[in-house]
Amino acid sequence: MSRAVVVTGLGVVSAHGLGREALAAALAAGSPIATDVDRSAGFHPAGAARTAALVGALDLTAWLPAAAARRMGRPSRFAVAAARMAIVDAGIDLAASPPALTAVAMATTFGAASSTEALLREMREAGPEAASPFQFTECVANAPAAQVALSLGARGANFTLMQGEAGPLLAVARAAREVSAGRAERALAGAVDEVTPLLHAILARFGALARPDRSGAERSRPLAAGRDGYTLGEGASVLVLEPEVVARARGARILARVRGSAGANDPSAPAGGWGSGSVGLAAALRRFLTADGTRIDRIVSGASGARRGDLLEGSVLRRAFEGAPLPPVHTPKGILAEHGGGFLAAAVLAAAGYPIARPLGCDEVDPEIGFLAHAGQLPHPPGRTLVTALASGGPAAWLLLEQP
Amino acid sequence: MAAKRFRAVEHRVVAVTGYGVVSALGWGVRPFADGLTASRAVIGPFDRFDPSRQRTRIAAQVPGPTPRLPLSASAARRLSWADRFALAAAAEAVRHADLDLRHAPHAIGVFFASSTGGMLEAESLYDQLRDDPRHARVSPIVSQTPAGPAEAVARHLGLMGPVETISSACASGAMAIGCALEALREGSVDVAIAGGADSLCRVTYAGFNALRAVDPEPCRPFRASRAGLSLGEGAGVLVLERAARAEARGARPHALLLGAGSSCDAYHMTTPEPEGEGAARALVAALQDAGVDAAAVDFLNAHGTGTPHNDEAEARAIHRVFGARAARLPVTSTKAIVGHLLGSAGAVEAVATLLSLASGWLPAMPGSEAADPGLGLDPVIGEPRRLADARIAVSANLGFGGANAALVFGRPGATR
Repeated sequence: MSRAVVVTGLGVVSAHGLGREALAAALAAGSPIATDVDRSAGFHPAGAARTAALVGALDLTAWLPAAAARRMGRPSRFAVAAARMAIVDAGIDLAASPPALTAVAMATTFGAASSTEALLREMREAGPEAASPFQFTECVANAPAAQVALSLGARGANFTLMQGEAGPLLAVARAAREVSAGRAERALAGAVDEVTPLLHAILARFGALARPDRSGAERSRPLAAGRDGYTLGEGASVLVLEPEVVARARGARILARVRGSAGANDPSAPAGGWGSGSVGLAAALRRFLTADGTRIDRIVSGASGARRGDLLEGSVLRRAFEGAPLPPVHTPKGILAEHGGGFLAAAVLAAAGYPIARPLGCDEVDPEIGFLAHAGQLPHPPGRTLVTALASGGPAAWLLLEQP
Repeated sequence: MAAKRFRAVEHRVVAVTGYGVVSALGWGVRPFADGLTASRAVIGPFDRFDPSRQRTRIAAQVPGPTPRLPLSASAARRLSWADRFALAAAAEAVRHADLDLRHAPHAIGVFFASSTGGMLEAESLYDQLRDDPRHARVSPIVSQTPAGPAEAVARHLGLMGPVETISSACASGAMAIGCALEALREGSVDVAIAGGADSLCRVTYAGFNALRAVDPEPCRPFRASRAGLSLGEGAGVLVLERAARAEARGARPHALLLGAGSSCDAYHMTTPEPEGEGAARALVAALQDAGVDAAAVDFLNAHGTGTPHNDEAEARAIHRVFGARAARLPVTSTKAIVGHLLGSAGAVEAVATLLSLASGWLPAMPGSEAADPGLGLDPVIGEPRRLADARIAVSANLGFGGANAALVFGRPGATR
């Protein structure tokens, strides 16, 4: 069995608020959010990044009763709230619908950082016998996916994917396979991450995060000159995937069709960094696009402001399109930050025709890259959207979304 | 039309052309196979970290020294233990498959599993940061997430195909192998390096102890006195290829990977659904995917952790799927020998299953205590079981969060 798969719902928990309209407004405005991270523990080096796109004290009770939230870590709360939001956004009334075998595929880069840290702290301060069963249960990487399944009765395959920046696209591809092959009648695919001061400090020490400029502002500048790292983000995005025939039969609004996916690896990449293997990655992308035989109308790039990562992204895109003019390229991570699912939601919104502004501070071309994120109106509605993600450490993933 | 159908069938047949293992029995398949045959449990005192303040003090630790890995000594020092296990097992599997990785590296994918990756090393970093934040060095070990082992394998073997890490607790290894099977069938890769790696670490050791899920004595799956699991570490890796491709390059198919299936209990974060309904759905899905009737299964390498809840739920799942035959179906659990390898358990147990299919011997769980009569199963205890005609075997895994997965293997030429 091989069925066309469409996205019919999108739930979002992000620094920009709850729901896809809040995210869409942020994407249209192009303004990132930066909140001070607690640096009181002294883990941060001098001159390092101080801010992140933090969810803060959002009220999730409309999506997650307080009693249930008490049994979850923050990533699980984000994921369950986003999943419930996505189901409602898809126009599915779980109480009134016959049960559908539902698969779950969630990506996370760092897992449940706060629960893991809490467990380590307990063990350090009071010995291993003080380790909390709750913290342990929530520190496993698949806790958010499992909590989504528990919350929504999703009894299909339950995947947690960890492949850094490529994870969210791999999760969508994995979920789409479950639906396309008929192993699941519906799937929830998404990405979730949280920011803790310790995680933020470690990434700052790695030099991964954008540092304060002369004005004191920290800006990721995807693909642009002067970029010196990304802004760390947190939150969750969850998509509802269904067979197109089922979605149409129930009159669902279709945000995008998942046309295909591909992956590759750059073995020249060091652990935690990006390599120089643009030739191999571009060849893989070209094979994917050629096999699909489609024109690309819009690219949602995973460029984040990482110095080497964006350089590689630019080179891969130029080579893959073999010198032809690139379609409009969007860099939503310059608005929504890296990690936490915002990028995935932006990709779906882009495929659905929502505008994405050029992020603030991204107006100067890096001569080594040679192009900037698109600014202004799109020349025509997006037919097909290529979504790209080059992960630190080597893996790459691409997703092709289209308007049905 | 007939040709297209033939091609579709051809694409579904996937061969195992190589495998590799690192376990507490040693580095490589040979010590693993010998230890299984002898039912030599290697669960005991360990020193990967200091367990003296833990409730229990035994585990199945991979013995030293680390053999030479296919990379420079300085690069090897930057790898986590889990990465080293992964790389050693992958290198052995590739050698076993007689695979030239330089040929079309873009068509070789890595589908891997890990629960904790470099958590042991992350724990050290945490201590350094707490002790002396100004001088803590984050760079010596940079591969600390569960994605690390897959990326280390892809990087150091020079592979350019897709890389995917599944971290769905104890079902991860079998799920990763299932993902590899699908990638081969759909043609997105020609060869898959599939498996998993995990190392012992304080977080999981203390966490399972906090849940009172660890037995102070070596685990006793499917026995009435069972009192919990024993943690282990290591890696298992399979080289998978479409059978037609393997045949064309003259590779020996050691076994066929016939099918995979997975499910979720959606019942509880740590306790399996007690009636085994979710686990049974994974088993049925795998058998259906393989086109194999439950009656054709010759033995089961069970998840068999030795926790009271797991073994009971798993036994009920086996009864649901195999019916009256459940009482006669030989069942074993290699966790009684090498411990519970968490995210890599499914991969290491897949290799154990392949070894049993090849040798016709099912390893015994050590000990003389009879099986728990309440489970109604036929566990292999004390003495290995001769199954000379075994053709089809199933390896099953159940994980935290209700994740379940099963794989169906067959001898080359096994009836489908």
